[in-house]
Amino acid sequence: MSFFNNYIYGSNEYLGRLYIIVSSLITFGLITLYSISSDPLSINSSFMRQIIFIIFSLIIFFIISQIDIKTIHDNSTLIYIFSFLLCFIPFFLPAVENTYRWIDLGFFYIQPGEYLKCATIILIAKYLSNHQLEVKESYIVIIPILIALLSSFLVLNQPDLGTAVIIFAPVLPMMLWAGVNGFTLFLLVAPLITIIAASNNMIFNIWGVLMFIIFLSFQGNFLKKIMIYFANIFAGLLFPFFWNDFLNGYQRQRFVDFLNPDLDPMGSSYHIIQSITAIGSGGLFGKGWGEGSQTQLKFLPVQESDFILSVIAEEFGFFGITLIMLLFFMLIKTLLDIAFRLSDYFSSLVIVGLTSILFSHIFINSAMTIGLMPVKGLPTPFVSAGGSFMLLCFIILSLVSNLSKN
Amino acid sequence: MLKIENKADIFHYRTLLFILSLSMITLLSRYFYLQVIEHDRYFSKSQVNSVKAQATYAPRGLILDRNGVVLVENYPTYILTVTPYELEDKDLQFEIISNITDISIEELSRRYKKYYQGRFLPTVIAKNLTFAEISQIEERRLELNGFQYKRFDERLYSDVLKDAHFLGYLRELDRQSLPFLDKSQLYRAGELIGWQGIEKQYEKELRYSKGMKYIEVDTYGREINSINDNNIPAFPGEDLTLSIDSKLQQFSKNLLLGQKGVILVSNVNNGDILSMVSNPSYNLDIYRGETTDSDWNALLSDKNKPIINRNIAGLYPPGSSFKIITALNLIEDGLLDPEDSLMCTGSYIPPGSSNTFNCWKEDGHGLVDLNKAIAQSCNVYFYETVQLIKLAEWTKTAKIFGFQNKTEIDLPNELIGQIPDKEFFIETYGRWGWSERGVLLNLTLGQGDILVTPLQSLRYINHIASKGKTAKLRLNAKKEIEYYDDILLSEQTWDRVIKGLYDVVNADGGSGWRAKQFEVKLYGKTSTAENPHGEPHAWFNGFFDFKNQTYSIVVLVENGGGGGAVASPIAGEIVKFFTDTNVDIVNK
Repeated sequence: MSFFNNYIYGSNEYLGRLYIIVSSLITFGLITLYSISSDPLSINSSFMRQIIFIIFSLIIFFIISQIDIKTIHDNSTLIYIFSFLLCFIPFFLPAVENTYRWIDLGFFYIQPGEYLKCATIILIAKYLSNHQLEVKESYIVIIPILIALLSSFLVLNQPDLGTAVIIFAPVLPMMLWAGVNGFTLFLLVAPLITIIAASNNMIFNIWGVLMFIIFLSFQGNFLKKIMIYFANIFAGLLFPFFWNDFLNGYQRQRFVDFLNPDLDPMGSSYHIIQSITAIGSGGLFGKGWGEGSQTQLKFLPVQESDFILSVIAEEFGFFGITLIMLLFFMLIKTLLDIAFRLSDYFSSLVIVGLTSILFSHIFINSAMTIGLMPVKGLPTPFVSAGGSFMLLCFIILSLVSNLSKN
Repeated sequence: MLKIENKADIFHYRTLLFILSLSMITLLSRYFYLQVIEHDRYFSKSQVNSVKAQATYAPRGLILDRNGVVLVENYPTYILTVTPYELEDKDLQFEIISNITDISIEELSRRYKKYYQGRFLPTVIAKNLTFAEISQIEERRLELNGFQYKRFDERLYSDVLKDAHFLGYLRELDRQSLPFLDKSQLYRAGELIGWQGIEKQYEKELRYSKGMKYIEVDTYGREINSINDNNIPAFPGEDLTLSIDSKLQQFSKNLLLGQKGVILVSNVNNGDILSMVSNPSYNLDIYRGETTDSDWNALLSDKNKPIINRNIAGLYPPGSSFKIITALNLIEDGLLDPEDSLMCTGSYIPPGSSNTFNCWKEDGHGLVDLNKAIAQSCNVYFYETVQLIKLAEWTKTAKIFGFQNKTEIDLPNELIGQIPDKEFFIETYGRWGWSERGVLLNLTLGQGDILVTPLQSLRYINHIASKGKTAKLRLNAKKEIEYYDDILLSEQTWDRVIKGLYDVVNADGGSGWRAKQFEVKLYGKTSTAENPHGEPHAWFNGFFDFKNQTYSIVVLVENGGGGGAVASPIAGEIVKFFTDTNVDIVNK
């Protein structure tokens, strides 16, 4: 019976599986970094630095693993305030590449926004796991959204659009997990989709019909639903006017620049073109390890972090990409399995939140390399080079292993 | 456990799993589309040609003197690079290159290993190719696949000032230093960076801003075509105008011929350094092209240390000029009446001691008041009067004048010297190994454990010349004038001391009479600083008014002998340069 209990509640087998997946991803990343470093064994190569970061992150992993879940639960507000204040430090330091995202620790840079992601999730999870909460009421979505808004507003000023978006990613899945009414969740997403769909007439029409069907299929006050529906349609119709006529060109440009200081600094779609060429030329089995001409001739920019998937695609082909996507899929699925089988509600919610962060990083980064999304400097978990993000991934891992102990 | 049981629903779990699967399938189908369906198109694109971003360069800013004379400019040379993966027969090709350039095969192989950056990246193996060599390489182009020559600007120092330390030099960047540099400047290994002196201090201004050029290249990285869209032009660095007057610099340099030492000339009103000579020196051309290791080692191990800029990094005992520190303390705190005279018999025995301290003048100065004591540099007067001052007060005054502190001149690696205080003495000699009275006898003569740089000495004399409000020393003539913290002493104190300095040069028996010029009023103080390395160092610190401006001079001749006999005439020559040339050095 104890084995059965352990299997259902302890999730230890899931943890073991998780560690195997993470180790495979890290190994894959290191093999790729070795291939693109011109002198991999020198201490300054991204390969060696990555190894140092991993060792450092492992130490942090073991330290955090020692912290009791109850401590995390009871101090969630304190953790949040601390991470929030940490994000203010860069504003008092000299700007790094025109942004205030980084704290220079001498041997590597720390991005406090990364840790605010975790703190936001813990705080939201604490709120949602409160047993006095009436999850069926729609108003409970307000507090989590306000917390996420506060965090993302701060990082937006650094400015860091990528992190601001990522901070929002866990909100919906966590509320879904907590049992918030599906229609309420739909209402939250609908305006965003409306605005995006408004850029194209046909898409907007399809979306209008689709939205109408969804509105009808949910129960509730008919008049209220009709009003919200038309509010959405109007917002969508007005947005292009607002964007085109109300703001003049230079205001728009400034808005875009503000959100995206590192978007296309060379003034062309150079990054995307090179990335797609590298991926496409890889073919089914790739050009071989260290043989990717696009990569090795340094056509690909920031190949060790943002575009590492393009390197993998060029050198190991569709075969390699499928392998790594499979690993990512297993990673996320294992995390969801753990969250589903945990007995404690707070822990379960935190894990869902953390999983959403990892997933959105994976999705946005891959979508960017293949031209499905605009260029945004977001690394891939456990594979991309970079100390601060690697540390975040290990913190997430240690929280998961910690939370699934009970 | 914690408060509440997990309420997660299998429906929610499946929803998330569904979204996950859908996203993964979307991504994979796009990868499949690009890599399998469109593979041929992208493969040929990557094979045939590709757009590559290439950095472009512009010249580094020039360095000029205050009159616009070019001191440092750029000089185009050709370097030879080799791209490892294009090499067909390395040994044979190296032999051909060796024959053309007269560089041994071993040396070529050594450089090839040393500068290797990766199989696909060019490695520099030879510099300063002559035109003849380039033509020979061009002739044998077919055999030399993988070798390329390209233009590479180096610094050319004008003959006027080939050996001025303050100019500094450039160094080739290696990969080890890259992580420590300003990221926004986009440094790459193999580029030149200001590594010392003005070149380092004003690296940001002098350095060009890199441009970006998009070129189409074939699969070997060779340029096929250049694309003119979206190119970002490179901009040259800013030219830098120094406060130095190269004629005066050369003139003062000649005054020190064959001797070790320093000459500094500055304008007190705005802090401009007009001349900064440090002797011995070395030819800055050593940083150009290739210098053999033995030449380098010879330079580094030379016991006269030509490589050091003595103005900012040479530490010396200041000698008698520090008597002024004592004098300022005495008058300002009202510890004695400057008109009162003491008897100098040629020696002094401190109360309760059996040691005799001698004046430099063995038969004594006779009756001495403060003015005469400064003018004739009487030791006994200061031995006796310094006993009225506390050590802490005395060191405080010295530090107010900037000693044991940087002058904040716009040069890197400035030393701060040492003004010993109570803590220093306790640490060095133990709690009972010294007495406050005893060390003051030494300090008041600027001897003992005091060490100053000549530039600090210049700041000191500028403070006196301007009665406490003086401009920060600067080498960049366009830099905004800043001021040191004001030194607040009574007008009467300043006047007393300045009168003493006048008499040093102009009164009968003044120790600096050899510096005297009839056309301008020169003020100054000679020092003869004893030191453990041989003959005493000869100093002259002084200032003079000329055409509504005040100029200051510091002369130091290392182991030169007496300050009056050796340093003063040099200072006189410099004043003479001003009156002879009769040019407005300043107002340009």
